[in-house]
Amino acid sequence: MTAAISLIVLLVLLGSSIAVAAGMGLTGLILNQLYSAMPLTRMLGELTWSTSSNFILTAIPFYIMFGEILLRSGIAERMYNALVQWLSWLPGGLMHSNIGSCALFGSVSGSSVATAATIGVVAMGEIDKHKYNERLFLGTLAAGGTLGILIPPSINMIIYGVMTDTSVPKLYLAGFIPGFVLTVLFSLTVLIACLWRPHWGGEKIATNWEARIRTLPDLIPPLALLMIVVGAIFFGIATATESAAVGIIGALAITAWRRRLSLAMLRDVCEATVRTTAMVVAILVGAFFLNVVIQTIGLTQQLSRLITAYQLTPVQILTAVIVLYLVLGTFMEELSMMISTIPITTPLILHAGYDPVWFGILLVLLIQTAMVTPPFGINLFVIHGIRGRGTLSDVELGSAPFVIALLIMIGLICVFPDLAMWLPRLVG
Amino acid sequence: MKRLQGLAAGIARVGAIAGGAMLLAAAVTICIDIFLRYAFSLTVGGADELSGYALAIASAWGFSLALLGRSHIRIDTVYVRVKRRRIRAMLDLLSLASFALFIALVAWHGWGVLQQSYASSSRSQSAIEAPLVIPQGLWFAGLAFCVAVALLLLARALVAFLKGDLATLFEAIGSKSAVAEAKEEITAVAHALGGNPGE
Repeated sequence: MTAAISLIVLLVLLGSSIAVAAGMGLTGLILNQLYSAMPLTRMLGELTWSTSSNFILTAIPFYIMFGEILLRSGIAERMYNALVQWLSWLPGGLMHSNIGSCALFGSVSGSSVATAATIGVVAMGEIDKHKYNERLFLGTLAAGGTLGILIPPSINMIIYGVMTDTSVPKLYLAGFIPGFVLTVLFSLTVLIACLWRPHWGGEKIATNWEARIRTLPDLIPPLALLMIVVGAIFFGIATATESAAVGIIGALAITAWRRRLSLAMLRDVCEATVRTTAMVVAILVGAFFLNVVIQTIGLTQQLSRLITAYQLTPVQILTAVIVLYLVLGTFMEELSMMISTIPITTPLILHAGYDPVWFGILLVLLIQTAMVTPPFGINLFVIHGIRGRGTLSDVELGSAPFVIALLIMIGLICVFPDLAMWLPRLVG
Repeated sequence: MKRLQGLAAGIARVGAIAGGAMLLAAAVTICIDIFLRYAFSLTVGGADELSGYALAIASAWGFSLALLGRSHIRIDTVYVRVKRRRIRAMLDLLSLASFALFIALVAWHGWGVLQQSYASSSRSQSAIEAPLVIPQGLWFAGLAFCVAVALLLLARALVAFLKGDLATLFEAIGSKSAVAEAKEEITAVAHALGGNPGE
C-alpha cells in the first residue's frame, strides 16, 4: 500500500512537469508527513551539504569539465579524420568510423550526450558528400554516442556507485568488455545492413597506407588521455576522481599545444561545467532525501516481503526490472529515470541475489537503450538537432537496428554475466 | 523586474564561473598531490576535501544559473500534450513554486548547518582542519541567492500571468522542450569545436 501511494505521489508530481529535483524532494516530504513521526526534513541541510561535498561525486564535475575542454581542444576532428582512414574500407564506410570515433571518444568522455553531440557535429557534413543511407548514418551517431556511458569513464556509473555503495573502479572494469563487444555489435549491424543493401553504404572513400600512417599522430592524444584516465584506475594508481583531475590537466595541455587555450575558453568551460553539474547535483539532492525517507518508512523491506509472499524467482524479478526500464525509458528523461529508480530497483535486485557491479552494467545498457528509444530519447534529439532538416522519425528509424543490437547485448550480459564480471574479478 | 532578472543572471554567471574556477583549482591541487605522492612519497592530503567544498559551492551557485537558464530537468511528457496555453502557464508556475519551496527548505536547513558549525567552531576531521564556516558560508550564500532568484522569477511570472502576458511567462519560466534543449547543446558544441578563429 505504502509502495503504491509512494509511486503514485512521485509519478503525479513528476508527471505534472515539476522540476525533477523538486519533485523527488517534495515526494520525500509528503511521504514523511504520511508515514513517519520523525521530522526528516531537518536533515535536509546536512544531507545537501554531505551529498554535494562528497569526494567521489566530485568526479562528476571533473569529467564534465574534462569533456568541455576536450571539445575545445580540436582533438575530436583529427581523431575522426584518422579513423576515417583506418575504418572506412569496411562495407558501410564512414559509418564504422562514426561508431569507432564514438567508442574512442566515449572512452575518454563520461557522457553519452556529449559523445553524440561531438562526433555528430564532426561527422554530419559527410552524409551528403558520400551518398550514404541517411537514416542508418544518423542511427550510427545516435546509438554510437550512447557508448559514452558504458565505456569508462562514466558519469552514470559514478552516480550508481555512490547511490548503491558500489566500487566505481570495479564498475569501470566491468564496463570495459561489454563496451567493446557492443561496439563490435554496432559495427556488425552496419555491416549486415550494407551487405544486404549495398547501396546504403555510400561511395568508397579513397585511402592508402601512406595517408593512414600520416594520420596516426592524430590518434595519439586521445589514446594517451585514455591511458592516463582509465589506465590509472585500472592499475589502482588513482581513484576515479583523481584520474579525472589528471585528465583535465592532460586535456588542457593538449589544448595549449594546439594553441586553443585562452582565458575566454576557460571561462566558457567553467560556466558550462557548473551549469551541467548543478543540474545533476540538484536531482541527486532530491533523490538522496527521498532515499532516506524511503528507507525510514520501511518501503524497501515492504517490497521485499511482497516478493517473498508472491514467491517470485530471481529471474522473474530481473525480467520485471528490465521490462520496467524499457518501458520507463521510452518516455522518461534518462538521468532522472536512473536516479529516481535506483533506490527501489537495486535493493530488489540485490535481494534476489544478483551482483551490484553486474547490475550497474545492465542498468547502463538499459539507459543506453532508453536514450535511443522514442518518444523520449535524448540522443535522438541531439542527432536530429545537429542534422537540422528532415524529421525526427528518420533518426528513430535509423536507430532501430541498433536498439536490436542493444537488446542482444542486454541478453548476452544476462546469459554470460562474466562479460562484465571477469575483469573486476581478475584485478580485484 | 526584467532588469532585476538581468542583474540576477549576471551575478549567477559570475558565481558559476568562480565556482568552476574553484573546481579547476581543485583539479590542479589533486594533480600536485598525486605528483608529490609518487615522486617524493609525500602525503600532503586535503586536496580531496577541498574539491568536495568546491563541488558544494559550485553547485549551490549553479542552481540559480540553471534556474535562470531553465535547464533544471522537467519531465514534459504531459506538458507538451496540453494544448491550452493558460494551463501550460499554470504548470510552469506550479513547477517554479515547488522548486522555490524545495530550495527554500534546503537553504533554511542549510542555515542551521552553518549556524551549528559557527557555534561549535567546527573544523573538518582531516589533516587541514579547515574551519567549516568558510566553505559552508559560501555554499549557503549560493543557496540563499537561488531562493531570491526563484522568488524573483515567481513574482515576475505571476505578474505576467495576471496581465495575461503569457509570452513573457514562457520566456522566463517555461519548460524548454527536449528538442530545444538539444539544439542549445549543439550550438554550444559547434561553437566550441570551431572555437578558434586563429586556425
